Amino acid sequence: MIDLAQTLPQVLAQLAPVLVPFAAEDSPVWLLLAGPLGGGATYWLIYRYYRNTDKSHEFERDTLISAKPVQGGETRVDHISRTRDKDIDGDNSSRHRQRVRRIH
Amino acid sequence: MTQDPAEPPRSAYDGPPPPPPPSPPSLEEELAAAKAGPEPTPSIETVNESLRDGLNRCPKCGSTDVQLRASTGQLVCLFCRHEWQEERVEEDFGLGHGIEELEGTVIASGAADIRADVSDVVTFKCGGCGAEVSVDTSSAMNARCHWCRHTLNVNEQIPNGAVPDAVLPFKLTKDEAIARIRDFAGKRRLFALGRFKQEFVPDNVLGVYLPYLVIDAHAESEYRGVGEVQTRRWTEKQGDNNVTYYAADVYQVERQVKYTVDDLTMEGSADRANIAKENTNNIINTILPFDTKNAVRWNASYLVGFNSEKRDLNVAELKPKLEDQLLSIGRSQVSGSLRKFDRGVRWEQESIAVGGSRWVAMYLPVWLYSYQQQSNGLLHYIAVNARTGETMGSVPVSHPKLLLASITVGTVLEGIAAALLVASA
Repeated sequence: MIDLAQTLPQVLAQLAPVLVPFAAEDSPVWLLLAGPLGGGATYWLIYRYYRNTDKSHEFERDTLISAKPVQGGETRVDHISRTRDKDIDGDNSSRHRQRVRRIH
Repeated sequence: MTQDPAEPPRSAYDGPPPPPPPSPPSLEEELAAAKAGPEPTPSIETVNESLRDGLNRCPKCGSTDVQLRASTGQLVCLFCRHEWQEERVEEDFGLGHGIEELEGTVIASGAADIRADVSDVVTFKCGGCGAEVSVDTSSAMNARCHWCRHTLNVNEQIPNGAVPDAVLPFKLTKDEAIARIRDFAGKRRLFALGRFKQEFVPDNVLGVYLPYLVIDAHAESEYRGVGEVQTRRWTEKQGDNNVTYYAADVYQVERQVKYTVDDLTMEGSADRANIAKENTNNIINTILPFDTKNAVRWNASYLVGFNSEKRDLNVAELKPKLEDQLLSIGRSQVSGSLRKFDRGVRWEQESIAVGGSRWVAMYLPVWLYSYQQQSNGLLHYIAVNARTGETMGSVPVSHPKLLLASITVGTVLEGIAAALLVASA
């Protein structure tokens, strides 16, 4: 049986990043989003717990891999002097299975 | 008198004149030959010669009444109770080492291409009484002689892809699998579909040997992209609000890594390899990996009492998938070298060079409970890795119950939010 007392903190943890920008505006009206967002997150979490649609074999971690030291380099090419984005567009450094353009 | 053996007697006629040297191939011919490349041929012979006649006899008493004893992972003679097992393929075929020295595509004989023109039905002449016994290799690997009750096994590799190089015997018993499936579904009762709860009979679990290709490879991959390093962060007042701004250096990033992978495992059946929303094959994929180092030489007696599924994917069809997985593995290996880029990295280009790969076909053991949801036809699986016990499943959900729970949680949160608003007004 799923324990809602355990699920609720998970739901709130999912909500936190969404609610923070509203909180920054110092308007308590953002609180009214808690209901629909909390309801949606509950639905999604329970569904995932039952159906496990997101699961797969983690071959990147579970296969015996022996790697030589990583080679490479980086060259500074530009400077961004003023942006509101807190991270780079299209960050895929942790999405190992998202394929990009093949060269050679 | 002695004769110099290095100087054979010469006859007056030395045969027809030598043919003229062949004309050099045209550019088109050379290009076509280069494009076609060498056809990969089996390089590791894994046929179990001792079982070629289809009769797998107990080495102690000669009976053919042999099957797997799951609790020990050994073959047991049902006549004299003698237990034994085949040799591990890891040592037998030297699969554990030499990965870095692999060149090209090395294929074991059980992983050779499937030939569509070869019949699934194999006929044996029973060594006990001489009767002819047929085995349909699409669904079974053994049959009993209907006259003398000898068990006949398909042990010889036939080019229809039915006989792999190795088999990993079942270790978890059916009772242990039932307990795990019951436990898994039991934790998901509250929001499960009512009909599923009524019809849930974990005793219907089936032991199935699923076909996999187990791959060793060495490769080098390269990645190019853009990374950003934050240099400054500050907050400005805009009206009543505070707005945060960032400054960053942008870098062109390159990474290369060489690596070997040992026993990367891929589905050999197109049905199982198709991981899409219309099925729950990801569940079966999730229970990987298996302890493939303990796989033994092929002997169909390991399959007595279990179902099996035939491989229908060839090495060539799986090569793009191997390259994809190697690229993912390389990306995970280089991710540790990106800590400097605290605003993240966007990879834009990648390349892979597979130096060599070795492919071995194996049957791996799975306890499988399946349930077809009538409303949408979706086949839900609860799968248990019959070696490690890892269990994963898909349980059909009752959407009305789930909606009710979501609305309840939403209403409670909205109530708290409204109370806070009233209090702050």
